[in-house]
Amino acid sequence: MNNTRPASGISARAHVLLGTLLLAALPVASLAAQELDPLSKLDAPSKFTVQLLIDSAQAAGLPSRALMSTALEGIAMKVDGRRIVAAVRREYGYLQTARSSLGPVGDEELTAAAAVLEAGAKPAALVAFRTRQNGRSDLEAFTIWADLITRGVPKEDASTAITKLWQDGADDATFHSLWNNVQTDILQGLNPGTALQNRIRETPGRAPPGPGKPPEGQQENQSSK
Amino acid sequence: MIDSEQHPYVEWIAREARRPVVVDLDARARLMAAVRAEPRPRRRPGWQRMFEPRAFNVSPLGSALLAAGLVGIGVLAGAFAFDRDGRQAGQPPAAVASRLPVSDSLVKFVFIAPQAGSVSLVGDFNGWDATKNPLRRSGDSGLWTVQLPLSAGRHVYAFVVDGTWNRDPAAPVTPEDAFGHANSVRIVARGVAL
Repeated sequence: MNNTRPASGISARAHVLLGTLLLAALPVASLAAQELDPLSKLDAPSKFTVQLLIDSAQAAGLPSRALMSTALEGIAMKVDGRRIVAAVRREYGYLQTARSSLGPVGDEELTAAAAVLEAGAKPAALVAFRTRQNGRSDLEAFTIWADLITRGVPKEDASTAITKLWQDGADDATFHSLWNNVQTDILQGLNPGTALQNRIRETPGRAPPGPGKPPEGQQENQSSK
Repeated sequence: MIDSEQHPYVEWIAREARRPVVVDLDARARLMAAVRAEPRPRRRPGWQRMFEPRAFNVSPLGSALLAAGLVGIGVLAGAFAFDRDGRQAGQPPAAVASRLPVSDSLVKFVFIAPQAGSVSLVGDFNGWDATKNPLRRSGDSGLWTVQLPLSAGRHVYAFVVDGTWNRDPAAPVTPEDAFGHANSVRIVARGVAL
C-alpha cells in the first residue's frame, strides 16, 4: 500500500529551500555576531571574566567603557587572555578607589583619576578634588598629574603641586603649560623633580612642591603676578 | 502473574482470543468500492493552501539545523536592534550621550616618522583598531597626519608605526599599563582640542 505517503511535492521542496536558507544563514550570523562582539577574539574563560567585570562596573555605576577599552587594547596588542583579565581587574580596582575618594563624578574624570592612582598617587591625595567647582573640569589636572609621576617626578611633589594649583584656581591652559615646560626640561636632561620645582615657581597660583620651598621673597613676587 | 485456577474467567478470555476470526471475503472489496464512490476532495486555490495545516517530517539533524539557524537569525536581529543594556545599536550610552556636545571637535594627530612605511592611529575612540584611522604622509617630510572627529573628554591613544606601538611625544602620557605600554592622552574640550 503506497497510497499512504503524506508528504507532497511542495513540502519536499520547502524542506530543501528551508534547509538551504538556514545553512546559508548560519555562517553569516556567526560572522556578524563575531563582528558585533568586540571581545570575540578573547578565549572563552577570559571573555566571560571580562564581561563579568564590565557588567559589575555598570551595576556599580563605574565607567565600563574604560574597562572595555583596556580589554580591546590588550586584544589589539595580542596579549594573552589572562593578562587582559588581570589588567581589566586592576583597572576596575583603580576606578573603585577613585570613586571612593572623589564621590560622584563623571566617567571621564573618574577614568583620569584612576590613571593618577595607577601612576602611584595615594587615594587620599584625590580627596582634595572632592569639592566640585561649577563648570570646572579636573580632567587636565589629573592627566598632567599622572604624566608627571610617570615621567619620574616624585609622587608627593607632583601631588602637592597639582592639588595646590587646582585649589588656587589654575585653568587647563596653566596645567598644560606647566606640563609642556617640565617635559622640555626633562628632555634637556634635568632631573624631573627639579624640573617641576623650577617650573612651578613660574606658574601663577603656584604651589611649593615638596620640602624644597622657594625663598620667601621669590614666592611673594610670583604670587603678585 | 495471575493464577488461572483462581480466576476461571482468564481461561475463558484466552480461549476466546485464540478462536480464529471469520472474515467476509467480500468485505474488503465493498469497503474499497465505497471509498472510490466518494467524490474526490476539491483542490483549493494556492492562497488557501497557505493556511492549511501541514505535517513536516524533520530529521534530528534537520531540527538541530533549524534551531541553530533560528538562533542565528535571532542574534542578528537582536544585535541590529538593541545592545546588551537595551540601547539602540550604534548609539552611545545614555550617560555619555547626555554629556556629549552636539558636534564633535575635529582633532588633528601628527607624527613624524621619515623612515616609516605605514603609520596608523589606535585609541579608545576606535576600539584600538589599527585599520580604522591610518595616517597620511605629507610629501617627503616624514610628517604623517590624520584628522578625525572626537567627542569632548579624555582620549587615550597611540601610533602604530610599521606594527610597533609608539606614544605621541607631543602629548601627556598615561602610566605604563598592565601590558607594559604607556599611551598618550588628548583632552578634547568642547569645540577645541588642547
